[in-house]
Amino acid sequence: MKHSEIELQMLREEINQMWKLVISQLEKAKQAFLNADIELAREIISREKRVDALELKIDSDCENYIALFSPVAVDLRLVLSIMKISSTLERIADFCEGIARYVADNECGEINPQLPEELRMEEVFDTLISMLSDGFVALESENTKISGKIMAKDEFVDSLYFNAIGIIADYLRKNPEQMRCGLKLMLLIRKLERIGDHCNNIVEEIVFYVDAKILKHS
Amino acid sequence: MDDTIQYELKKNLTQKVAFGAVTLFSVAIVGILVVILSFIIIKGVGVINWEFLSTAPTDGMTKGGIFPAIVGTFYLILGSALFAFPVGIMSGIYMNEYAPKGFVLRFIRTMTNNLSGIPSIVFGLFGMAFFVKQLNFGTSIVAGSLTLGLLCLPLIIRTTEEALKAIPDSYREGSRALGATKLQTLFRVILPMGMPNIVTGLILSVGRVSGETAPILFTCAAFFLPQLPTGIFDQVMALPYHLYVIATSGGDLEAQRPIAYGTALVLIILVLLINLLATVVRRYFAKKLK
Amino acid sequence: MNMIEVENINFYYGDFHALKNISMEIEHHSVVAFIGPSGCGKSTLLRLFNRMNDLIPNIRLEGKICIDGQDIYKKGMAVDSLRKNVGMVFQRPNPFPKTIFENVAYGLRVNGVRNEKFIAQRVEESLRDAALWSEVKDKLKKSAFELSGGQQQRLCIARALAVQPTVLLMDEPASALDPISTSKIEELIHELKPHYTIVIVTHNMQQAARVSDKTAFFYLGEMVEFSDTKKMFLNPEKVQTQNYITGRFG
Repeated sequence: MKHSEIELQMLREEINQMWKLVISQLEKAKQAFLNADIELAREIISREKRVDALELKIDSDCENYIALFSPVAVDLRLVLSIMKISSTLERIADFCEGIARYVADNECGEINPQLPEELRMEEVFDTLISMLSDGFVALESENTKISGKIMAKDEFVDSLYFNAIGIIADYLRKNPEQMRCGLKLMLLIRKLERIGDHCNNIVEEIVFYVDAKILKHS
Repeated sequence: MDDTIQYELKKNLTQKVAFGAVTLFSVAIVGILVVILSFIIIKGVGVINWEFLSTAPTDGMTKGGIFPAIVGTFYLILGSALFAFPVGIMSGIYMNEYAPKGFVLRFIRTMTNNLSGIPSIVFGLFGMAFFVKQLNFGTSIVAGSLTLGLLCLPLIIRTTEEALKAIPDSYREGSRALGATKLQTLFRVILPMGMPNIVTGLILSVGRVSGETAPILFTCAAFFLPQLPTGIFDQVMALPYHLYVIATSGGDLEAQRPIAYGTALVLIILVLLINLLATVVRRYFAKKLK
Repeated sequence: MNMIEVENINFYYGDFHALKNISMEIEHHSVVAFIGPSGCGKSTLLRLFNRMNDLIPNIRLEGKICIDGQDIYKKGMAVDSLRKNVGMVFQRPNPFPKTIFENVAYGLRVNGVRNEKFIAQRVEESLRDAALWSEVKDKLKKSAFELSGGQQQRLCIARALAVQPTVLLMDEPASALDPISTSKIEELIHELKPHYTIVIVTHNMQQAARVSDKTAFFYLGEMVEFSDTKKMFLNPEKVQTQNYITGRFG
């Protein structure tokens, strides 16, 4: 393998590593949320620093790669995609941290356990995890067939988000004393919705890299 | 518009005239050469046979062959080569590889060039004064060879120098960069690369030597010598001088005439063969280097 | 101890001050690139490392250059053995008009090696190291001129490697080659790096970026900047360097 290819391979390995870390953060966030596991939530918060460090490393490696190897065509698209994907992953990890903080604060124990079930939270988490994993596989296999599927999943997440507004409004009407926690829960669901959007962005980047097509805003 | 067309026509016309003139002169030169050659061949081919080439002249040079002259020419070529080749090549090497660039080198080069411009009869005179009288060699093969050697020295020096100059410095640097000394570089890289051109120069100088009359006139050539020379201090007959002799003096000029043409033909063939050899050798070396 | 240490040198061709107050250190087993516009002195400095400039009349050097701990301009320095230790590859491929085998064996032979078995072994090793063996192993007795330009240049690298140098100087080694041959030479530099200290002069900034660990930028006989290649190409210290590598020069 050529020296420049080896460097590029290292970049890919770094983004893969970051990706796996973010997936595991999201999985843990799900467990922590559903089981109100404060220990796990703290673990997520402390591991967020590792994601940040990886993002910085990938950024500087991409800068160096561009400065030293002046990549063109597919190599250029890959490096640009990796840069954008890493910053998107970092944001997803931020949201995971936000969820973990919600759990760790442990202010909302009195919320009816029926509510998350009604909001189909577990399903939302699972969908997001599968979107993120599918994206990982898509980049790894350089196969963009899966992109449509991921985008459909995002629409599913969006629809649950819109339903959630009504459900929480109803709940708060019945339990006005839980207004603060209800709003916090709403914000949490908003975060999940944003994670879905970010997964979508990642897919767009992969399509840009593999097929050189621009899906953004279309 | 008309002006440009006019100009174009004029340009075309000039072009054609110039091209025609060049072609005409080239054809004329080749034509003259063909005429001379065919003249000599037609006149001379009749007398050439094995006996002509292998016996000495007889009957006051009106009969017999030119064997001693052929052998003499051969000796003179050999003698001058023995002297001029090493001296000339070494001078050429010195001038291109060793001499510091500057006044001395320019001086030597100018002198060498002047030497090649001196008329050959002057060489003959010098040879007689220096080799024959001063060094007391007498009229002999040695004196003649040395004189002829001097005559072709500038050509050898020049071609050697040019041959070496044509080799890019990157080869010298490449060799020196591997830890080779200057002498190793010279013998292992530079001389092998310059060989085709050097050898061509040598052979052409031999061609020059074999055809010269004036330098041997006073230094070694015998008017008539029935037997072959036995040592290097003997006189010797030579083709060009023999030709001169039988064309201008002798008992019966008319009877000698066919022999003169025959001698001329042999001389021309000899020179042409030498030039041909130069081409072949050049090709051979060039191929070996590829 | 660094492989090459240049201490405050000044170099003159006659009256021309070609190198001004240059000091630098080059580490073992690293690749250093010299960049800069034509006539900036980068080749001159390179040629000081194996005393190639000695062949030019009327030169003067002040200061000290040490290679492998040895002052190479001290009195009594054996220049021929220095050149054995500091190999050089030139701008144009310059194989000798000999067979491929004899080209590589040349350096050994001129240095007095007689053992044919050893020579054959070194020739093979060097050709392997220069990534040329598989292409020429069946035609070692053929003339070097039958090879392509890129192969000839790799042959010249093999020729330099045969005498087991510790430093390899390359003077624009790929400037006369096509892109594919160029990239092969660059790959080769990466493969040689663990075993040799390599100094490469290049006009091609991307090449300097691709192959080197450190880069020195020269301008008008001065060394403007000498730093890690990554730093040089991402965030050069001097404005002059920035203008040169971004093509805004002049």
